[in-house]
Amino acid sequence: MWNCGRRIDMRATDKYEADLKSKGVVSLFDWVLGVVYRHNATISLVLVLCVVAAAGLFVIRDLQSANAEAQKLYLISVQGLKGIGELQFDAQETRRATLYALTTNDSNLQLEYADQSRDADQRVTEGIVKYQKQAKLPRQIELAGRLGRDWANYLPVRDEVLALILEGSTKEAVSLDLSSGVPSFERVRRDLNEVKRLYDEEASQRVANVEATSHRSVMRLIGILGFVFLLSSAAVWAIQRSRMLSAIQLAKMQMEFVASVSHELRTPLAVLSSAADNIADGLVEGKAGLQRYGTVIQNQSRQMKGLVDQILLFASTEDRKDRYALQPLPVSKIIESVLASTKELIQESGFVMETSIEPDLPPVLGDLAAVAQCLQNLIGNAVKYSGHSRWIGLRAFAGSLDQRIGWEVRISVSDHGIGIDRAEINNIFDPFYRSPRVSALQIHGTGLGLSLAKRIAETMGGKLSVVSELAAGSTFTLHLPIAEGEKLAMTRGLSQASSSTLP
Amino acid sequence: MGRLASFVVVLSLAGSLLAGIPREAAPSAELSVEQQATATEPLAIVVNRSNPLDQLSSAELRKVFLGERRYWPNGRRITLVMRDLGEPEYKTMLREVYQMDENSLKNHFLRGLFTGEILVSPKTLATAAGVRKFVFNVPGAIGYVRLTDVDGTVKVLRIDESLPEDKKYKLHVELRPAN
Repeated sequence: MWNCGRRIDMRATDKYEADLKSKGVVSLFDWVLGVVYRHNATISLVLVLCVVAAAGLFVIRDLQSANAEAQKLYLISVQGLKGIGELQFDAQETRRATLYALTTNDSNLQLEYADQSRDADQRVTEGIVKYQKQAKLPRQIELAGRLGRDWANYLPVRDEVLALILEGSTKEAVSLDLSSGVPSFERVRRDLNEVKRLYDEEASQRVANVEATSHRSVMRLIGILGFVFLLSSAAVWAIQRSRMLSAIQLAKMQMEFVASVSHELRTPLAVLSSAADNIADGLVEGKAGLQRYGTVIQNQSRQMKGLVDQILLFASTEDRKDRYALQPLPVSKIIESVLASTKELIQESGFVMETSIEPDLPPVLGDLAAVAQCLQNLIGNAVKYSGHSRWIGLRAFAGSLDQRIGWEVRISVSDHGIGIDRAEINNIFDPFYRSPRVSALQIHGTGLGLSLAKRIAETMGGKLSVVSELAAGSTFTLHLPIAEGEKLAMTRGLSQASSSTLP
Repeated sequence: MGRLASFVVVLSLAGSLLAGIPREAAPSAELSVEQQATATEPLAIVVNRSNPLDQLSSAELRKVFLGERRYWPNGRRITLVMRDLGEPEYKTMLREVYQMDENSLKNHFLRGLFTGEILVSPKTLATAAGVRKFVFNVPGAIGYVRLTDVDGTVKVLRIDESLPEDKKYKLHVELRPAN
C-alpha cells in the first residue's frame, strides 16, 4: 500500500517538474531558484533591496541634478537681468549727467555733473568689457563688439559736449549733442536693447532645456519605479516558487523517508510474522527450535527498535535546543564506548577497525551518549557505504585551523568505500536526503543518520565535516571543543600515537 | 659779507623745504618771523594734456590770462580758469602775472567782453581740485594750482623755461600763517 501511494505521489511530482521544464524555465533560472531555495529567500530580498537602493540613489542624484540646473538657471537669469539693467541705467546716467550740466552756469556744479557722467561711463565701459568676456556665441560676440565700438564712438562726442558746456559755449554744446551725441547714444541704446533681447532668447532656451531635463527626470523616475515594481514582483514570485519547490522537495523526501522506513520495518516484520506463524502452527519443535526462533525474533525486534529510536531521536533534536548535559569527557572513554557499541556490528559485517589515538589529548566538552551516538552513526554509514572494502579507520587527534580559534579535538571515521559525488556533498547533511546513486545500489537507509550526527555535533558546540573522493572513500570528522580550563600538552606528533586494530 | 651770503642761502633752503609741505600740514606756528615772511610754494600753470604747448614766456602768459590771446596753436579756444577772489593763488596771479589790482582786472574783463575782444569770461572755481578737473575736461583750458595740487590729469607748463621745481621759477604762493 505504501509503495502504491508513493508511486502515485512521485508520479505527480515528476509531472509537476516536467511541466515546469516544458514552460521554458531555463536551467540558469532553476539554478537561481536553487540558490534561493538553499538560502531561504534572503538573497532575493537583499538583491531587491540593493536594486531599490541603487534606483533610489539614481533618482535622488537625478533630482539633485535637475534642481542644480534650475538653481543655476535662476542665478544666471537674476545676474544677467541685473547686469543688463545696470548697464542700461549707467548708460542713461552718463547722458543724463551730461545734459544736467547744460542746465546751470555754475562751473562748480557743471564739474560735479561731469564727474557723475565720467563715473557712469566708467561703469558702462567695465560692463561692456565683462559682457565681451562672457560672450560665447557668434551673435553675442558680434553684438558685444558692436556695442563696444558704438560706446567708444559716443564717448568722444560726450567729452566734447562736456568741454563746450564747461567753456560756456552752451549753444555749440547743444548743437553738437543734437548732431552727433543723440545719434551715437541711440546706437548704443539699440545695442543694449539687442543685448537684452538676445539674453531673453537665451533665457527662454535655458528654460526649455530645464523643462526637457525635468521631463526626462520624470520619465526616468516612472521607468525606474516600474522596473523596481517588476523586479519586486519577480522576487516575490521567485520566493513563492522557491518555497513551493521547497515544499515539494520536502514532501518528496518525506515520501521517500516513509517508503524507506516502511521498507526497513517490513523486512523484520515479515521475519517476525513468519516466525510467529511457524510457532503458532506448531512447526517449531523442541527447545532448540524455540531458542533459534526466539533469537531471530529478538534480533529483528532490536533492529526495529533501533530504527524507531533513531527516528524518535531525530524528532527530538528538531528544535536544536541544548538538551545535553555537557561535561568534560576523556577521549579514551568516548572511544571505548563507541568501540563497545559497534563491536558486534563490525564483527558481523566482517570489518577491520583501525584505531589511532593521539596521546595526551585533553578532555573534550560533550555528552557521552550523544557523542557515542554521533560516532555510531558515522561508523554505521562507513559499514553501509564501504562497498567491497572491509576497513574502517577511527582516529582521535588535536587540531586547529588558526591561532584565534585555538585547539580542538577531532575524531574521524574513515572508509575506503564508494565515496560521495562532489555535487552531493552539500546535500548529504539534509534530513531525509538519499543519494540516487545509493538508492540505485539498493543500500537501505532513512536519510537521517548524517543529519542527526550533524545536529548532535552542533548542539554540543562542535561541528561535523567531510572529505570524500568518489570511489576512493570518505572521512567524516567530528570536531569537539576542549573542556574549559584544560590545557593541551602541545607535543604534537603522531609518532607517539598509540594504535590498535580490532578484528 | 660772507656771513650774510650764508644766511641768505640758509633762508632759501628753508623756504624751498617748506614749499614742498601742504598748506594745512605746514608747521607755520613754529616758524620764526623771518621764515614766515618768506615761506612760499610754487604756483603751477596747468593746461589740458592734449594741449601741444609745453612752455610760455611771462609775457605770453600775461597775454593769455588777460584774454588778449584767444586760441592755442592747435586752434582750440582758450578758456581761463581762476580761483575765487581772495585766495592766495589769485593774489599771486594778480601780483606776478596781471600786475594789477582786483578792480582793474575786473574792469579789464568787463571792457573786453563788452567790446568783443574777449570771447568768454574766466571761469571761477572754489577749489584746486575743481581747477584741475576743469582743465582735464576742457581741452583749451588753462589754470593755476599749487605744485602740491598737481596730478597726472593735467600738464604743467614751463614759464620762461622753468618748471615750478626750479629755483629760478618766479610764480610762488605766499603761505599764510595758521592764524
